[in-house]
Amino acid sequence: MEVIDGRLKFFMYSITFTMFLLLGGLYLCQIYQGDKYIRLANNNKLRVMRFPAPRGEIFDRNGVPLAVNDTTFCIMGYPLDLNTPEKLERLSKILKRHGIPIEVQDLEKVIKQQRLAPYRVMKIVPNLTMTQMAELIADYEFPHELFPMSVWRRTYPAGNVVANVLGYVGEISEEELKARYEEGYTGGDSIGKSGVERSYENILRGRPGQESLEVDARGRKVRTLDAADAVKGEDLHLTLDMAAQKFAVELLKNYKGALLAMDVKTGAVLALASSPVYDNNPLTWGVSGREWNEIMNNPDRPMLDRAIAGVYPPASTFKAFMSIAALEENVINESSMFSCRGGLRMGSHLFKCWKHSGHGGLNVIGGLQHSCDVFFYQVGLKAGIEKLIKWGRKFHLGEPTGIDLPGESGGNIAGPDWKMRRFKANWASGDTVNYSIGQGYVLMTPIQIARVYAAIANGGKLVTPHLNKRSYKEPEEIGVTPEKLAIVQKGLTYVVSRGTGSRAGRYGVSVAGKTGTAQNSHGDDHALFAGYAPVEDPRYVAVAVIEAGKHGSSVAAPLVGQLLAHLLAH
Amino acid sequence: MKDLWASLKEDIFLTDRLMILCALSLGVWGVFCIYSAGAGSAGRGFDLAFKQAAWLFVSVLAMLLIIIVGHNKLLEGAYPLYFLMLLLLLLTDLLAPKVNGAQSWLGFGGIRFQPSEFAKVAIILVMSKFLSRYPPLDLKTFFAALGVISLPVLLVLLQPDAGSALVYLVISFGMLLAAGTPLKYLLTIVGTGLAALPVLIIFVLKEYQINRLLVFIDPMRDPLGAGYNVIQSRIAVGSGGFTGKGFMMGTQSKLKFLPEPHTDFIFSVFSEEFGFAGNAVLIALFSILLFRVILTGLKARDRRCKILTSGVASWLWFQMFESMGMSIGLTPVTGLPLPFLSYGGSSLLAVFMALGLVASIYISEVNSKRVF
Repeated sequence: MEVIDGRLKFFMYSITFTMFLLLGGLYLCQIYQGDKYIRLANNNKLRVMRFPAPRGEIFDRNGVPLAVNDTTFCIMGYPLDLNTPEKLERLSKILKRHGIPIEVQDLEKVIKQQRLAPYRVMKIVPNLTMTQMAELIADYEFPHELFPMSVWRRTYPAGNVVANVLGYVGEISEEELKARYEEGYTGGDSIGKSGVERSYENILRGRPGQESLEVDARGRKVRTLDAADAVKGEDLHLTLDMAAQKFAVELLKNYKGALLAMDVKTGAVLALASSPVYDNNPLTWGVSGREWNEIMNNPDRPMLDRAIAGVYPPASTFKAFMSIAALEENVINESSMFSCRGGLRMGSHLFKCWKHSGHGGLNVIGGLQHSCDVFFYQVGLKAGIEKLIKWGRKFHLGEPTGIDLPGESGGNIAGPDWKMRRFKANWASGDTVNYSIGQGYVLMTPIQIARVYAAIANGGKLVTPHLNKRSYKEPEEIGVTPEKLAIVQKGLTYVVSRGTGSRAGRYGVSVAGKTGTAQNSHGDDHALFAGYAPVEDPRYVAVAVIEAGKHGSSVAAPLVGQLLAHLLAH
Repeated sequence: MKDLWASLKEDIFLTDRLMILCALSLGVWGVFCIYSAGAGSAGRGFDLAFKQAAWLFVSVLAMLLIIIVGHNKLLEGAYPLYFLMLLLLLLTDLLAPKVNGAQSWLGFGGIRFQPSEFAKVAIILVMSKFLSRYPPLDLKTFFAALGVISLPVLLVLLQPDAGSALVYLVISFGMLLAAGTPLKYLLTIVGTGLAALPVLIIFVLKEYQINRLLVFIDPMRDPLGAGYNVIQSRIAVGSGGFTGKGFMMGTQSKLKFLPEPHTDFIFSVFSEEFGFAGNAVLIALFSILLFRVILTGLKARDRRCKILTSGVASWLWFQMFESMGMSIGLTPVTGLPLPFLSYGGSSLLAVFMALGLVASIYISEVNSKRVF
């Protein structure tokens, strides 16, 4: 009996001990770490939901939609609710009944991704149309634990035709997030990655909606604590003419290069084609790493917008600029003659004219008309590089035109200072000779060439190329004498009517312009043509650059002629 | 009939009123907790609390009935009761539908009950009688006692209900300890158990049970899977602070972060709403109750009665300690109900029946001195 009583007393001590143990544990948990757990409990029940704002839509000048938002639907649910093969089987059967071919194995694979977090909501089936979703919901067998969620998806109806202009949107990257955190972006947001989508991101994005929710353990809404509706982004109306753009892309189809057209008075861009093209739709919807690498590593670089970021020697299209500079600096006048015997000898080096037999005696109009190299060699030498650079700066060569697209290149105005900086060498008179026919160190983008020709066409005003109708800027007066400009205009008219660029004038509109054939160290010469129409009252300027197109007169001139004719006909 | 009523009144007067008061307080508090855990009248709270209150009423009646019948008669009938229990457990294995992966329910005229709970009372009765008739002082009687207990343990493991099996073993261990079993026997048993643990883990335990043990060591290894319950429960308890969030104000249970709030994790609901202060009162109530049970054993003169109280104390203590400890991560998750507070009629009824036995012992063994 004493043994039993002793053991029972031992029970009492043990119980007392464990009770204090429990109290100690509870003290640690509730008092010592109480604040931590109170915070955790609050985090548990608070969720901030973000509803992405529908992006502003983009239209061409006639209201043709270029970038729109499609609503797609996802089926959301909790892995917890789909934890048995029978449930998956049932869901798959329902989906297949409505024409969505999703097998049990597919569902299993999706659920498995979140095996460790069965209490967190996840996307079970993505990318359903409104009709599909409506049918599914109406199905009385559709499991009520699953619920639909609508998602905006950016779509570009014209796809690759305007991809270089519009760009695409994608999920914000970590660097972008860091840089733009202040502007209210958070992870998972969409952001314009290139093109207009990027340059007008702030207008297009709108304001995302927010809802502070009290949620239960499954993340389901219990009540709303605070809410702000999403505000759709502003629509954008471009100066682009979809018909002209399509036509330009069509014309460029078999070439690599750029073809663009612009209003000479306002700088409004009507067509901006770059070839080869790419489709921006898959980029927006998300491509695999392999597809992405394929686009980025494509040797033809389809993502490079050659119209604004491709730099080329302007070649003979530069001669119009040379003429203006020389006339304005009184280096020559209308009747100044130079003779061409097929080349210009300087020391031991012979600078050839493209016409080896020579052009004979020419004035500036003839020099432009026949694109005589030797004429412009001598003009350049007589003017001197400093004066050419001075006029280059007046035309803002060597700097971006300020078109409202990201990634524009400024080209290169070059000159003695630049050569010293770049090559640690003095500027030679041979450099000036090359410079005078748009070869050597001078480099321009097609949009820069277009801007120069627009100035020639509109009476000496430098426009700012733009795509957004509301981004028009007053043109800048260069300060060219109208009479002297008329000489150049006359020369350019003769180029088409009776000179090297005659192929541009075969489409029923009067065109003035200039051909160009740029030496290309990597292969065949680049073909260029810059022109405007109609000659009597110029409205549009167009520039074509065809990489390895050999001759500006035969390849580039017809493209410009056709595009200008198209614009004037519509 | 009048005599019966008169003797019952006398019995109630003579019994350990402090123990009964503690038990009733806990039971009533449990009803309120279940109401809150079920999210009140908005959820299933009212329904659950009403059922629990009804079961509490039935339980008190059963306790009174056992006091009237007396522990002596029940101890005399211990063996038949033991075999009846074995039969019921066997029937459960064979007939019961599966609920949550285990067959532990028997339907009986519209009322479902868990034989495994009542088996605890039967085990206490039969072990009291057996251990006092054959004190486990040598190996032969010791193994005989183990044989008596092994049958119900095996039957309940077949359901499979490892939690109840564990409680049977703890009850038996406590009673063997109280009955004066040489300590070396008991230590050998404990040692063997520990040695067999790896085998148990690999061959016997189900994957979810192993996960429960692993997350006991580190809940963060699977925060939304097996560790979820432990983490959420700890958050519930911890966020209660000193005074608690107030009755019906717990967010963890209301927003369903706590799984099984009215059964396995009722203590977390309680702690969140009543805080450390409430817990101190709760632990005090349990302590007084357990002390009174053991005190009854100490004062009793009948050997069987002493051993019986040790069984009841071991049972209630173990389930309380395990259930509370699990809520704060002190012990692994087993899913054992917290006596008096967890929802469940069978569990409540069995506990009150056991207390009826203790009360009966108190009346005849402790207070009888006054009567005679």
